Amino acid sequence: MAVSVDPLVVGRVIGDVVDMFVPTVTMSIYYASKHVTNGCDVKPSMAINPPKVSIDGHPDHLYTLVMTDPDAPSPSEPSMREWVHWIVCDIPGGTNPTQGKEILPYMGPRPPVGIHRYIFVLFQQNGPMGTAVQPPASRANFNTRLFADHLNLGLPVATVYFNAQKEPISRRR
Amino acid sequence: MAMAMATAADIGSSRWSMVSLKSALPPLTPITSSVRLPCVRRQRPTKCPQLVRSFTGLSPVNPLHSLGFSDQTSFGHNFTIIDNGHRFSAMRHGRRVPKLNRPPDQRRALLRGLTTQLLKHGRIKTTRARASAMRKYVDKMITLAKDGSLHKRRQALGFIYEKQIVHALFAEVPERYGERNGGYTRIIRTLPRRGDNAPMAYIELV
Repeated sequence: MAVSVDPLVVGRVIGDVVDMFVPTVTMSIYYASKHVTNGCDVKPSMAINPPKVSIDGHPDHLYTLVMTDPDAPSPSEPSMREWVHWIVCDIPGGTNPTQGKEILPYMGPRPPVGIHRYIFVLFQQNGPMGTAVQPPASRANFNTRLFADHLNLGLPVATVYFNAQKEPISRRR
Repeated sequence: MAMAMATAADIGSSRWSMVSLKSALPPLTPITSSVRLPCVRRQRPTKCPQLVRSFTGLSPVNPLHSLGFSDQTSFGHNFTIIDNGHRFSAMRHGRRVPKLNRPPDQRRALLRGLTTQLLKHGRIKTTRARASAMRKYVDKMITLAKDGSLHKRRQALGFIYEKQIVHALFAEVPERYGERNGGYTRIIRTLPRRGDNAPMAYIELV
């Protein structure tokens, strides 16, 4: 019997990437008409381009969005945990990441082995970041908690994750 | 038919009572297991208080028993006691081995293949029955790797289909699962499969 029914706890997103938090902002993510729900399956071929993210929140507040993969390169041996795919800062509330500053350009999921979780974490900023944020030196071995600590972002305000696996090269007959 | 009998009996006696009819029929339920509920309504003094029936097996209810006791007197309703497919019991009493709808050799091959793939990929998506049947074998393999001796390695090589996976397993399990006692997998249920609505689950190494 599951101790908790929250999909983020069941999928170990809370624990591996973020700490327990109280969601205060609604975030909807769409990959070309597919709405991303916790634990849903998205094909890497559908996720080549950045998704449409709609954040509701006060327009005076600024938000930071981070997309990471904690199962790189393989869920059984995550030696490169986490692999960061996208970082956008200074997103005004009620809009989408195109209005923000893209610190790290979007990279689509490309899981080599196994089924990977891809997690979108939204933080609320205390003030505009501007040039205070440096892109990380490499995408591998990223730590979302440390990143949030460096920029004083605190706990996240919204989190969604989806699963993706390598697609077979040729279609089965 | 009930009314015909009632009118015939009314000719003989002023009040028709059920006692004579009930004594003529075979007993409805064993007397020790029946529970008598208090009679709530008083408009029908001739009817006996409702009895809660114990499990009477698969035989259809004798139509004569349901004369004044229930309102389902048609013949089609008399078979609705058991309605759970082919299961005789709602519990798991005595079921030790999940059969997975396969003969024993195929079942063993299926479980060997599934554990090999799980140890190779770290997280796989299968049906819920297979995921919960696999847990025992995955835990067994990790326990063999924790021990680490040559004999255990050869036992693992006899179960897992690919030998690089066994060697990788024996190399990394002691530092990864050194402190954990058991429970090396986690099952997360997910949406059913589209083709046959089979309940699916992710099983992953903790």
